[in-house]
Amino acid sequence: MITLGHYLGVAAILFVLGVLGIFLNRRNVILMLMAIELILLAVNINLVAFSAYLGDLTGQVFAMFVLTVAAAEAAIGLAILVIFFRRRGSIAVDDANRMRG
Amino acid sequence: MTYNFAAIVPELMLIIGEPILMLTASTMGRRATKITTWGTVALLIAATIAALVGTEPSSAGPLFGGLLSADPFAVYGKALIYLSAAVAIIAANSWFARDDEHGPEYPILILLATVGMSVMVSATNMITLYVGLELNSLSAYILASYRRTDARSAEAGLKYFVLGALASGILLYGISLLYGFTGSTQFSAIAAALGRDEAMGIGLLLGLVFTLSGLAFKISAVPFHMWTPDVYEGSPTPVTTFFASAPKVAAVLLATRVCIEALGPAIDAWRQIIIFAALASIFLGAIAAWGQTNIKRLLAYSSINNIGFVLIGLAAGGAAGVSAVLFYMAIYVVMTLGAFLVVLNLRNAAGEPVEAIDALKGLSSRRPGMAAALAVFMFSLAGIPPLFGFWPKLMVFNAAVEQGLFALAVAGILGTVVGAFYYLKIVKVMYFDEAEEELHYACGNLEAAFIGLFALIVSPLGYLLIGPIGSAADNAAGALF
Amino acid sequence: MQTSIILIVFLPLLAAIVAGLGGRIIGKFASKLVTTGALFLSCILSWPIFIGFLTGAETETVVPVLDWIRSGDMVVDWALRVDTLTAVMLVVVTTVSSLVHLYSWGYMEEDPSQPRFFSYLSLFTFAMLMLVTADSLVQMFFGWEGVGLASYLLIGFWYHKPSANAAAMKAFVVNRVGDFGFSLGIFGVFLVFGTVSIPAILEAAPGAVGTEIGFAGMRVDTLTLLCLLLFVGAMGKSAQLGLHTWLPDAMEGPTPVSALIHAATMVTAGVFMVCRLSPLFDAAPGALEVVTYVGAATALFAATVGTVQNDIKRVIAYSTCSQLGYMFFAAGVGAYGAAMFHLFTHAFFKALLFLGAGSVIHAMHHEQDMRYYGALRKEIPLTFWAMIFGTLAITGVGIIGIFGFAGFYSKDAIIESAYAAAVMGGGNVSAGFAFAIALIAALLTSFYSWRLIFLTFYGKARWASSEHVQHALHGHHEDESEVVADHDSADDHPVAVREGTGGYHPHESPWSMLVPLGALTIGAIFAGYAFYYPFFGTEEGAAFWAGSLVHNAELVEAAHHVPLWVKLSPALVMLIGLGIAYNNYIRKPKNPAKFVAMFGGLHTFLMHKWYFDELYNLIFVKPAMWIGRIFWKRGDEQTIDRFGPHGAATAVGWGNRLTARLQSGYLYSYALVMLLGLIAAASWAYWWAR
Repeated sequence: MITLGHYLGVAAILFVLGVLGIFLNRRNVILMLMAIELILLAVNINLVAFSAYLGDLTGQVFAMFVLTVAAAEAAIGLAILVIFFRRRGSIAVDDANRMRG
Repeated sequence: MTYNFAAIVPELMLIIGEPILMLTASTMGRRATKITTWGTVALLIAATIAALVGTEPSSAGPLFGGLLSADPFAVYGKALIYLSAAVAIIAANSWFARDDEHGPEYPILILLATVGMSVMVSATNMITLYVGLELNSLSAYILASYRRTDARSAEAGLKYFVLGALASGILLYGISLLYGFTGSTQFSAIAAALGRDEAMGIGLLLGLVFTLSGLAFKISAVPFHMWTPDVYEGSPTPVTTFFASAPKVAAVLLATRVCIEALGPAIDAWRQIIIFAALASIFLGAIAAWGQTNIKRLLAYSSINNIGFVLIGLAAGGAAGVSAVLFYMAIYVVMTLGAFLVVLNLRNAAGEPVEAIDALKGLSSRRPGMAAALAVFMFSLAGIPPLFGFWPKLMVFNAAVEQGLFALAVAGILGTVVGAFYYLKIVKVMYFDEAEEELHYACGNLEAAFIGLFALIVSPLGYLLIGPIGSAADNAAGALF
Repeated sequence: MQTSIILIVFLPLLAAIVAGLGGRIIGKFASKLVTTGALFLSCILSWPIFIGFLTGAETETVVPVLDWIRSGDMVVDWALRVDTLTAVMLVVVTTVSSLVHLYSWGYMEEDPSQPRFFSYLSLFTFAMLMLVTADSLVQMFFGWEGVGLASYLLIGFWYHKPSANAAAMKAFVVNRVGDFGFSLGIFGVFLVFGTVSIPAILEAAPGAVGTEIGFAGMRVDTLTLLCLLLFVGAMGKSAQLGLHTWLPDAMEGPTPVSALIHAATMVTAGVFMVCRLSPLFDAAPGALEVVTYVGAATALFAATVGTVQNDIKRVIAYSTCSQLGYMFFAAGVGAYGAAMFHLFTHAFFKALLFLGAGSVIHAMHHEQDMRYYGALRKEIPLTFWAMIFGTLAITGVGIIGIFGFAGFYSKDAIIESAYAAAVMGGGNVSAGFAFAIALIAALLTSFYSWRLIFLTFYGKARWASSEHVQHALHGHHEDESEVVADHDSADDHPVAVREGTGGYHPHESPWSMLVPLGALTIGAIFAGYAFYYPFFGTEEGAAFWAGSLVHNAELVEAAHHVPLWVKLSPALVMLIGLGIAYNNYIRKPKNPAKFVAMFGGLHTFLMHKWYFDELYNLIFVKPAMWIGRIFWKRGDEQTIDRFGPHGAATAVGWGNRLTARLQSGYLYSYALVMLLGLIAAASWAYWWAR
């Protein structure tokens, strides 16, 4: 029997993976965008699992909103990445360090 | 369920006005930017008036099934946000004038962000909170990387985006946990559930911590501040001006509403976290600002520093604390906008904008009025009496002392002293150093008028405004209790 | 009488405010008119009150002004108290002050900031009137500090002159020492009697005789302690030996100021205070003995120093110091009436001498060194005669039973009282000492006073080598800063004096300066003759003073019946002094130089004013500088600055390098910081929930 706890566990693992993906990854920014998607996925699993568990639709509605926003976010993220690539000729994370201090 | 559209007239005006403006602009060719700029400003002013006069008590309650509220708290926030957004749009005019990057979409993006902020300060449900926040954030990411020819602008956009998305994820994860363990996304229902449980479960606690962390990113409180200096420096200066003003107000008000309305019963759980963030922000902001050579970066640390003082008011809680927070934000916006307006008008011999603090050398002899205004803003940001910036600091310390948080107040006052260092450094550079290079200060009449007005407000004359601002803040704070 | 008292006291204040704040608007002429007019009005209102007390028509009056301080048991009502003693002071203060105001019209003619000067003068007068009308010690202290402030402002009136600033500060600091004693005395009085109201204190004083109080770890007699503390205040204000050093330097102020403040009124405040509290002092014989010794020592000390001064104003300043000593030991032997009498007459002839000196200085184009004077008798005859009468008054010329100048009566009254007290009741050593000193000082007084006259008005003209006269001759408009050169007599450089006028023609002063001289001359001639019996008569005195001070009828009676040789001795020493001065400065003008050559050590000792300034420099100033330097270098720089501002700055710089390193510019490190913050917050919340 798959309980709420299992869902939450999976979501937590995904969340941690996503977060680790952001700061352990030093190669390129695309991976970061993927990690962000992973985090949002974890959230959605949480929301839907809770929604089912509570018998309350709000969570699923919320998940729809998150999906929508995530799509927009991905589009904007990629657009910024394109600008960055044009200026710097690279999408390596290590290159984005002009400003510091 | 009733749909009281009358209560959301300001937002409706902006939302409907936005596509109309865009469509109009698309047919206007070269004059498009002008149209959208002044159209947006007119819309924002109209929305401010609508927000201020259009609120009867009947519309102040929960709207649309508790998704939104148009209570005095929201109205206070909207008025501040709309007006500062309008100033930020106007300030961009002359700065962008030197190249053709000032597209008609610039004011539109600010307008969209403003709608998002408007929703943020009105939200009484986690879903609206999230949607408003994201609408603001997504517009902001684009604005940060607005200058496509500038590598720094792109880097700022990238950093802002990645970290902002991470923060959103953290916030969402916290919200999902809160939803799961309280059974609702409604602020009032969450508060009721928190009030019911004597001992909070670990799930609820994690939800609370994650939610607060996500919000802390938006108000750039330490340790979620890391994006601020880089984004402030890299973004085009008018965008930075905008970032430092309206979104800060929206984020602080949003955090305040969440803390009081949704998490109020769990104040003992979050107060220590807020206190830590407050002190860390004050001291880190002050210390890190010291060695800066870029004035935008310095102002970024200044905003981190000031947010620390705001958080002292939030940590104090209660009507007095919230009122102090609201008051602080009003004065903070004026001081920051004033300081940025001066920075916006610094030009080198070639007409290029300059951002180096060294460029301020000898400003007092060349443009005494400008130097005096910047000095007033700096002293005021540092909270040195008798300038008006001293008063909100006094209010937050008062609120803290009233709640028995003496150590916090004392530490905060110590922080003001440390903070005074770098503000005084700017004043020293302007008044005591010899100018090294030829500088031009192309300051339009409108900008000069704004600078003068803001300097007047934060001057000791500002104390005349304590009455009206204070009663508005008290009224707004009263709506949360 | 109530209305006129209020007017007398507050008119000068009003005038000071008008001239001080509105001087720029109403101009200098109106400022002068307002202040001088107010003072003359005060003066005109004062005399009827004094005459009323003289004839017995007036009695003690207290005019309440307002409730001032009410704090626990401390009740201070602000009230103007006028009795005989106050009435005497009222006429002295307002008369001299109004004449000095008038005199200043001429003397300060060319000064650019006259409204300020007249405002200060009027302010001083108000403070002095507050002092003399005080009904409580706190109110007296208010006036006391007020005159101190005005004195400071007026000494430093020419503030662009460093020497004037230094003198003003010196006066202020030395007076602080005295005021410290005075305030301790007031605290002590409040502690012992529970009140600061003067009548209540005087009433309670006899009850405290023989009690003891703890002070600085010792058990001491209460009244002696209180009186000595109060007397320290009087010593400071009245420039008595030990705290006298400021008075000669105070001559840096304009001459009218010297006449008003540093001769006639403020410096006598100490004497007034002792007389006002005479029942208290009379109950403390130990304290009175100290008063006698200090007064006598001052009289001698100042007279000796006065004999070698070359600056005309400094001679008169030391003379003032010496005469104040007379007043104090008169009070010390119990002859308070005689002390007040001398205060009264002294105010007239000393103000006259100062204003006369001012007239001479004015004529000689601000030259103050008497070595450059000579033969001025014919050039400025009116001034000459005024000075002559002043000198006759101070040296006490007169024939017993017929007529004498003012000082003749008052000084003789003091000397006779001292003798009477010395032989009365088995002998009083301090009074005997005072009597002997009084005679020696009288001789010296006569000598230096006539020396001043002879050097200034007789002999041959020696103006040619004076720089000031040179300036005047060559048409240089003198800069204010060099109006008065530094005349510190310790710097007694032998000057090459050429005889001759150098073609210079001294001019007599304008009428505004001569009228006050005339008025004061009348006072100097008749003040003693007219008021001897009310002030110092056995029965008339008792009726006149009417309990406002202790009138020791027995002592006064004894003083009237001293042996003839005692009565004649002042006249004798006066003549000796005159003879010596005449011999050395008219007949054989080379003698002083020979004397200096013969007794170089003594001369240097006197020239250095008994080395008081050098001694204080060694004992107080140097160690204070040393301690100050330790606090500054070790305390401030190495401790407070190091851990305070500099330390904070260092810490901030250090912290700044840390934050700069933290803000590395890399996205992943930013994310890491956020994550660490999140983990920390979560851990804390988890820990808190347990």
